[in-house]
Amino acid sequence: MTSLDEARELLREFPIVDGHNDLPWALRKQVTYDLDARDIAVHQNAHLHTDIPRLREGGVGAQYWSVYVRSDLPDPVPTTLEQIDCVRQLLARYPQDLAPALTAADMESARAEGRIASLMGAEGGHSIANSLGTLRGLYALGVRYMTLTHNDNVAWADSATDEPGVGGLSAFGRAVVREMNREGMLVDLSHVAATTMRDALDTSTAPVIFSHSSSRAVCDHPRNIPDDVLERLPANGGMAMVTFVPKFVLQAAVDWTAAADDNMRAHGLHHLETTAEAMKVHRAFEELNPRPVATVSTVADHLDHMREVAGVDHLGIGGDYDGTAFTPDGLNDVSGYPNLIAELLDRGWSRPDLAKLTWQNAVRVLGAAEDVARDIRATRGPSNATLESLDG
Amino acid sequence: MADLQDQLHATTEVGELDDLVHEPFPAGPFPPDTAEPYDPVSDPAAAPLERARAILAAHPVADGYSGLPWALRHLPWFDLELGESSVDTDVPRLREGHVGALFWSLHLPEGLAGDRAVGATLEQLDLVNTVVRAHPEGLRLAYTAGQTTDVRNCGRIAVLLGPAGAPALGDSLGILRSLHALGLRVLTLSGVSWASEAGLTRFGEEVVREMNRLGVLADLSGASEETIRRALAASKAPVLFTRSAARTLRPHPANLSDELLAAVGAAKGLCMVPLTAEQTGPSVRDVADHLDHVRRVAGPESVALSGTYDAGTAHPQDLADASCYPHLFAELLHRGWSEPDLALLSWGNVQRALRSADFTARAAQQRREPSTAKIAELDG
Repeated sequence: MTSLDEARELLREFPIVDGHNDLPWALRKQVTYDLDARDIAVHQNAHLHTDIPRLREGGVGAQYWSVYVRSDLPDPVPTTLEQIDCVRQLLARYPQDLAPALTAADMESARAEGRIASLMGAEGGHSIANSLGTLRGLYALGVRYMTLTHNDNVAWADSATDEPGVGGLSAFGRAVVREMNREGMLVDLSHVAATTMRDALDTSTAPVIFSHSSSRAVCDHPRNIPDDVLERLPANGGMAMVTFVPKFVLQAAVDWTAAADDNMRAHGLHHLETTAEAMKVHRAFEELNPRPVATVSTVADHLDHMREVAGVDHLGIGGDYDGTAFTPDGLNDVSGYPNLIAELLDRGWSRPDLAKLTWQNAVRVLGAAEDVARDIRATRGPSNATLESLDG
Repeated sequence: MADLQDQLHATTEVGELDDLVHEPFPAGPFPPDTAEPYDPVSDPAAAPLERARAILAAHPVADGYSGLPWALRHLPWFDLELGESSVDTDVPRLREGHVGALFWSLHLPEGLAGDRAVGATLEQLDLVNTVVRAHPEGLRLAYTAGQTTDVRNCGRIAVLLGPAGAPALGDSLGILRSLHALGLRVLTLSGVSWASEAGLTRFGEEVVREMNRLGVLADLSGASEETIRRALAASKAPVLFTRSAARTLRPHPANLSDELLAAVGAAKGLCMVPLTAEQTGPSVRDVADHLDHVRRVAGPESVALSGTYDAGTAHPQDLADASCYPHLFAELLHRGWSEPDLALLSWGNVQRALRSADFTARAAQQRREPSTAKIAELDG
């Protein structure tokens, strides 16, 4: 039996829980939620990383669908509700394949039924507009993790990719974390500054997650996790879900992206611009400087290191499919996970360890957050704290 | 888009029978019942107030509008279970007034329109959830007609979520569906570009259709006359006027002309008469005058009550808070209202509207997918 066959067999028993997939945002941008125009029951290779046939091929058993909205646009709360509605519509449309899941028990039921447990995660504290009532509203709608920031700071938490603001979490930021603990919503520390990671670990009484982040020691990028934070995961009980995004995981790709961005700015363009003129400039750059390609092995290097630092009980996978333009060779779309598992088998990972990586850790973490919430709710009512009252 | 236009005729309500040419079931041992029999619950010889209490005990008030959520928002501490003097509504007074169900308004102050409206509505929904959960002996959330009856049979007071203002939708049907998922059941169609003085736009009509599909009732109190006419034609479920009295008796922008009252009656909608000095007058008799008038013009099946407590308005004498409904019913008995009509006024009509909305939604979900219409496409 080849390692790939063994990987597939293993995934049949313990399928992948993926921490982050941006299909809802892709559906919003491409077809303004016209789900007929992107019927994911059939292959959508031309448009998307994600569809049901490829999720099945990839051995995915649970997916946190990101209800991400851009942090630089107005109206984050209304847009988040539209994103949530998109996920709910997907669940209503494909009940044979997607199972609504709100708890660890729901995840196990879905696995037993052979359906893909579908959870929701909000990507960025801007989605609650500084309101704990809105946070509880998102929980009531099914959101089970919230990333504390996206690429920009929020008033109460610093982002990894913005200038230092409050220096981690503010007093209100800590109140947000405590309220998430009370609700049973996982605190997601992808995208946040290392200072925010440490403050959140100090504050949270429930396990935290990194829904899509890799190791900073392996590849020095602010979106990755420093070793001193990874070291704290065993005590916290949380998990780091390794991401595949080449410009975060491969040093050559990090450098190449920085050079490409500089080149855009040198031409007087914003580095994220996608107009025809901007694309021409970008293509000319790519012609002269071939884009470095990450591979399955690049991602496995991260997992090997993270396992050494955090331990195998604190690892998971968060591909960020449909949230990134480029993907590694062999992990081109959601059908690629078996290649990663095969690589890890070749590197000597045991089957019980792989079961933890793919399935068991993620289910344990959500269940632990539910237990913490139950305890807190017995003694503490919902918080009415506001940004003004705590941060002045 | 042709199919969008096809549905714009008023249709008969769910539960109404078409005229049959031939009687399919000959009168026999099981004659078809057309009207539900009514069992009297009060002693006609008793004093009016005593009779009123007996009738209300059997047919409690389903109150169409309570401003409690916004009033509670600013109280640092409150206890609705034992009694709360800083508001007009608490469990002891609801019990004394024989209130069996009430709609909790999620309306926002004027300044909170626009971008903040969606978030503020989420906060209001969260507050209501928290308050209701904190008073499990008295209050319970209900989302359907069946649950409302169920809550009452459990000896609790049913809380229904709404009306919310149309700005809470952020001009998006996806947000409407998310708010419905959080429990919203009534939406007031005014104060937005698609439901303005000019009436409902094409997007506005699509909102009404999506509300019908979900089971969210349309509230037209305060809506423009054009919007009212269009919504009466477009909605397949009964519409509500959660705070409207008779304009003939008292000129107030939210009160309804006789012509509109007749149209509401024909569409089997509900005119829920508010107990406010501003809209109905300073005495119990003034309120009773409005109820008489609405019943006469719109019909006994289209009149209901709306306490409008904790909404910042003055109330008629002897109707100062939620405990005072028996006074009103005593006055109506005095005026010769029959028991069945009083039962419809307090509970029956609202139940019928809720049930009809549930049926309409279930039927619509069979034949239609969630609408993907965008305001920019339809009203562009």
